[in-house]
Amino acid sequence: MLKASKVHFCIRQRPIVAEVTLELHPGEIMAILGPNGAGKSTFFKLLSGEIKCKHGAVAYNGHDIQKLKSKELAEVRAVMPQHSQLNFPFTAQEVVELGLISCQSKHPSNLVKEVMEITNTTHLKDQLFNHLSGGEKQRVQLARVLVQIWEPKPFPRYLLLDEPTSSLDIAQQHGVLKVLQSLKARNIGVLVILHELNLAAQYADKIALLKNGVVAKIGKVSEVLEEEILAHVFDHPIQLIHNPVTGGVLIAAAAQVNQTIPTFKQA
Amino acid sequence: MVPTLSHTKIQSQNIILLGFGFVLGLVILASLSLGAFQIPFPQTLAILFDQIGISVGTFEVQQENVLIQIRVPRVLMAMLVGGGLGISGAALQGLFRNPLVEPGLIGVSSGAALFAVIFMVLVPAASALVWIKAVGLPLFAFVGGLIHVLAVYYLSKTQGKTDSATLILAGVAINALAASLIGLVLFFADDSALRSFTFWSLGDLGGATWSKIPVALTLIAAPTFLLLFNTKQLNALALGEQEAFHMGVNVQQVKLRLLICSALVVGVGVSMVGMIGFVGLVVPHLIRILFGADHRLVLPGSFLLGAILLNFADLIARLIVIPAEMPIGVITALVGAPFFIWLIFNLNKSRN
Repeated sequence: MLKASKVHFCIRQRPIVAEVTLELHPGEIMAILGPNGAGKSTFFKLLSGEIKCKHGAVAYNGHDIQKLKSKELAEVRAVMPQHSQLNFPFTAQEVVELGLISCQSKHPSNLVKEVMEITNTTHLKDQLFNHLSGGEKQRVQLARVLVQIWEPKPFPRYLLLDEPTSSLDIAQQHGVLKVLQSLKARNIGVLVILHELNLAAQYADKIALLKNGVVAKIGKVSEVLEEEILAHVFDHPIQLIHNPVTGGVLIAAAAQVNQTIPTFKQA
Repeated sequence: MVPTLSHTKIQSQNIILLGFGFVLGLVILASLSLGAFQIPFPQTLAILFDQIGISVGTFEVQQENVLIQIRVPRVLMAMLVGGGLGISGAALQGLFRNPLVEPGLIGVSSGAALFAVIFMVLVPAASALVWIKAVGLPLFAFVGGLIHVLAVYYLSKTQGKTDSATLILAGVAINALAASLIGLVLFFADDSALRSFTFWSLGDLGGATWSKIPVALTLIAAPTFLLLFNTKQLNALALGEQEAFHMGVNVQQVKLRLLICSALVVGVGVSMVGMIGFVGLVVPHLIRILFGADHRLVLPGSFLLGAILLNFADLIARLIVIPAEMPIGVITALVGAPFFIWLIFNLNKSRN
């Protein structure tokens, strides 16, 4: 279990992440949603160990993150940041193979091959990473982080992704989330920051809504996705529409209610 | 068993390295036998084999003396310094995540030079403690190089990566400072200190003698060897410091190790043969352009190619103005500077 208890982080006395508590279980996909500047990325960095929290604690499988060495941490969790820049001519396959650094795989080349097939990157393997399109780069990065935690271990592993679908078209967005879904069976817990509410509604098991560094609501998808809460968090009226085909919900921006215009004038 | 993809890749990398080793052997052989005093190849080989007790031909005593006392230490020194500059250039470029980094450009060499000069002036030439000079000078130069590389690293780093413009400017500033301080120190120097500085600042391998080889071997070869164990970490760092940390690399520790090893290699090299520019810049680039960026090949390849290039440059320096010698720094800069201009031009083009 990945557990964050009351993690707190502030810059110049201003809390960016304030006393956030959440639990991520293996075999679960949790989506973190929230408006820009809600503290999602900072919270993400606290969980990945990139920055240390002022107080509160993050623990992977019961081990405090501060006591884990970077190598031990890398065996338990993999992280896919939003953008990574390469200044040297590495091929796509070489980038994927970087994921092997801290995993003692007996069949590294099979592992890389399998993951590249799943992420649909096999045909890119000999191309230079810097010559790939934005979407291709993201899939190669996904392959890299999957390699790191792909092989079964006696303990559960976790995957943290910061907007993995930001430069993908609709087919590839669903492709990526289906890959994430398939990780559930591998004893992996997935925590993913998303901007697209409908993707979260369709694929996540749990949703955490963040606003101003505080958890506005956390729970199962059906509990969190309510018009009032979403409208409050995103400062925009939101409508939930029943999807007649799948039986799920569709989230749409509702028309601005006229009332909001006079309140602006009053202010 | 069907060979897997990464196996064939490792094999081809090994073949490339073997090829470099072979070329290095040829250049060394040429360098040993050519020069103001020619020793034909058969005699060169005969002398070398004679040293390990195998007699394959006849030679004159004079030939043996020139080869063993003058040429062999010189070739060894060129190999250590050239290879050291190549591999530390590759390591520093990987650490700074910036292809424009070069030991001379970012001030490691000038820092080493400054401290070497301070040492030469402070410790009188006629000092009885010869061993203090033999070990103290390289170590002093190492400290100077380390201070400069740390200063440039922290000056040019913003948000986990080094900005090229700031990096070059920081290097220029640090180099200018070092140059003026060297001038200041020399102002207070006595005649004998000035003379040893002049010899050394010409940047040639003429001063390479057997007495310097043990120190060079330990202080250059050992950190070079240590650098070779950082290939995976450097590959991970290429993606970014945070990414490397996510992948399980202890970034702070690796950074410290790379900085110390590189400063040691360059600093000791500078203290032995003076400032030799552009080898550390050109060599890693050639390897990357020809064979890709995997540090498993780039690091050892840079050592071998650096050794080849410096031996070759030394050979030219000895041959073009027989019986005199051209300072080797002149040759490397003559080839390196145009390459550097070409590199800047291409970097700008790829960005637009």
